[in-house]
Amino acid sequence: MLDIQVPAFLEPAMNTFRYAPLAIQLAMIFIVIAATGTLLAYFSILRSRYLGYRRDKRLSYLLPKVDNLIIEEVLTNPEVTETSYSDQLILNTEGFQELPMHKKWVREAITGRIMHFRRNVRGNMGQMLRSLYMQLDLDKDTMKKMKSGKWEKKVQALTEFINMDMSISDVTILPLTNSRNRELRAAARHAYIKLSKNEPFKFFDVVTEPLLMWDQVELFRIISSTEDIAIPNFARWITYSSNKSVVSFCLKLIVHYNQLPAVPAVIKLLDTKDHYLRANAINCLGKLRVPDVEEKLVSLYSSQPLHCQIEILKALGRISSGRYIDFLKQEFLHSTDFDLRKSAAKSLVKNEWIASQVLRELIDTANPENLRILKHCMNPLIKY
Amino acid sequence: MSGILETLGKLYESTLFVYGLVLLIVYALLAFFSMLAIRSYLRKNNDHQLDVLASSPMAPGITILAPAFNEGLTIISNVRSLLTLNYPRYEIVLINDGSTDNTMQQLIDEFKMVVVEYAYNAKIRTQPVKKIYKSTDPAYSSLLVIDKVNGKSKADAVNAGINIATFSYFVCTDVDCILHKDTLLELIKPVMQEEGKRVIAIGATLRIANSCEFDEGVMTRMRPPRQLLPRFQEVEYIRSFVLGKMGWSYINCVPNVSGGLGLFDKEVAIRSGGYDHSSFGEDMELLTRMCRYAHDNHIDYSIRYIPKTLCWTEAPSTLKIFNRQRTRWSRGLAQLIYAHFGMFMNPRYGKMGLIIFPFNFFFELLAPLIEFTGVVSYIVLAIMGRINWPYALLLLLFVYTYSVMITTISILWDQLSFRYYKSWKEVLYLCMTPFMEFLLYHPLIVVYSLRGYYYFLTGKKSTWGNMQRQGFGKKK
Repeated sequence: MLDIQVPAFLEPAMNTFRYAPLAIQLAMIFIVIAATGTLLAYFSILRSRYLGYRRDKRLSYLLPKVDNLIIEEVLTNPEVTETSYSDQLILNTEGFQELPMHKKWVREAITGRIMHFRRNVRGNMGQMLRSLYMQLDLDKDTMKKMKSGKWEKKVQALTEFINMDMSISDVTILPLTNSRNRELRAAARHAYIKLSKNEPFKFFDVVTEPLLMWDQVELFRIISSTEDIAIPNFARWITYSSNKSVVSFCLKLIVHYNQLPAVPAVIKLLDTKDHYLRANAINCLGKLRVPDVEEKLVSLYSSQPLHCQIEILKALGRISSGRYIDFLKQEFLHSTDFDLRKSAAKSLVKNEWIASQVLRELIDTANPENLRILKHCMNPLIKY
Repeated sequence: MSGILETLGKLYESTLFVYGLVLLIVYALLAFFSMLAIRSYLRKNNDHQLDVLASSPMAPGITILAPAFNEGLTIISNVRSLLTLNYPRYEIVLINDGSTDNTMQQLIDEFKMVVVEYAYNAKIRTQPVKKIYKSTDPAYSSLLVIDKVNGKSKADAVNAGINIATFSYFVCTDVDCILHKDTLLELIKPVMQEEGKRVIAIGATLRIANSCEFDEGVMTRMRPPRQLLPRFQEVEYIRSFVLGKMGWSYINCVPNVSGGLGLFDKEVAIRSGGYDHSSFGEDMELLTRMCRYAHDNHIDYSIRYIPKTLCWTEAPSTLKIFNRQRTRWSRGLAQLIYAHFGMFMNPRYGKMGLIIFPFNFFFELLAPLIEFTGVVSYIVLAIMGRINWPYALLLLLFVYTYSVMITTISILWDQLSFRYYKSWKEVLYLCMTPFMEFLLYHPLIVVYSLRGYYYFLTGKKSTWGNMQRQGFGKKK
């Protein structure tokens, strides 16, 4: 048995503990744990607030200096507008060297500010900011993060590379596009699209997991904001991809780039069994304003679920060819579903250039509910 | 006879011991899970992501529903606060639930509202809608006001808003709440980031607005309340949201999304029948029915919480109003358990039936009753001279230190994640509150809860009511 020496003042408590029932012994142990836990929590709060305070103080001293240097050396530098190859311009980094650049937090803060400014400028200024980042050797820090075993660091590095438009080899990024970690996988895909010199959309061929809505937002931004990117015909994935989220995303890209050559592939998609995907395809055709598909959409109408029917009615409004006014009128008058009648009325109003007579007639003869729907759709104050 | 009493007494003691032990273990687990959930949230999120979404044409549309009943004192600044939200695609539906003050007139005057012929489709039955207004000023084009007959409940007003909502997601808030400018961006993110499940509801942390500073409906300075009663509530909210809800969120077992701020899937909410206007805990009731609907229709769903404070609400600062609020909440809980008792320990309802419902039953509904019987038996035993005082005090000290530790941990998680409050003094102020909470605040909660149960059992009439707001002004 260990003979532990207990201080004299604790002797009564130890005696109470020794001879107490189990419940009381447990309670005593937990009192000590709870009191210690509370004290540790206070200490942690104090420490975190102190560290935060110190960080804020340092940054409030450093950041204005960094901002001024960036403004002086890059944003208001007269040579920026004059030099066409600003990558080759050697910047005066003396001001930066006076800062304690040997400290990691200083370099991190400068990288953050350069990234911040780069998000808000384009062209030569953006290139100059990139040059500054490289001349200050901040890319070496990013490369170190890229080699880190922690996924957060890798994500941070990829974000910095994307922002700075730094090229990385496909071999480095491609394996990460199938990483098991969702955040890393997403960041790698963004980087691949942005930075790959070969086939930026290659991962669309191999991606097996669904592209989340969030991934799509980020990808859309990167694709639509990257200059000099070769936009492929997205019909390729509409036709061959078995990943529904990729197909759905490509439909949005087709609309964004107004890719009319992709229309036949989208029309083919109307035969898909997945009615959500079908609704997306109808939506895409409507937004592309393809008059040739109206007949096909109207012929499909009666066999479709509600949300596809609504999309068909909306598409007829968007295309606004004026050829299906009678169909829209029939749906408005005879459909039992409120949303269908409202969509038909909206599309009629969008076809007003040819349907003004029909609209007048409907206003004169409609029942109170239909009249309200018509007035709703015709009121410019009401958007939806 | 005395032998039977002795046996019953022992049984009661053992039951209480097991009950207390399980409760303590549950709180310890919640503290651990909440830490994991917050860490995961912080690792995944950065401000740049919000900027991307804020400028994206692919952001899903959101309808904000804000019911108002006699909110004339704060209505304009609150609507202005909603109008400043940072989101690319949203509409605000303000429901004037038959206010008897000048709420409606103020809205008409301030925002240049005119009556419009609106195609209103009552998918959920409510009290009649009298008029619908839109603004003639393009600056307020996202604002729509419904003027309806008073439905004597917040539920009826929100249901009218759900009927008119354009978008697939709606955010339900109280019009007296002040929202963070990025609220919609933050709330929609879990919907867009979820893998494989349909997110049917998302909540975020609420805080007390009483001593904060606001300018034109925008929070400019966050402070813990100066008055003791609201400050107790601030600490309670931190514990409930940052530790409790985040812990539950980690294992996808969120029992409730607060009525103050929550984002919901409109289709599931409508198919579940919308808010129940006869319920006193309509937010919890709706969520329970949404879960029930999802299970019955084999929808693989999730409910999430985020630790960031996105909403500030004015807390009752007098015992009278506080009593009214808490009585209503506990009555709502009793109603809910009674109405959905079929879910209790029912494996058909998955985690809802096997974890959330039993937890609500044993540790939310029964807790005040057990505490009350505990105090009564304590007094009886004391009178009979059958209490071992040193041991009794040790047990009391144990419960006290444990409760202080749990609350302090929730303040710690909150501080480590977001470092709210400007000065050290304010944090210290907050940290001292748990020491008094157990002795001063908790007994009030027990009494008001029992009162709520009594009203539930006796069916006493009561309405959703006037909070007698002070209003959020700019610092003078």
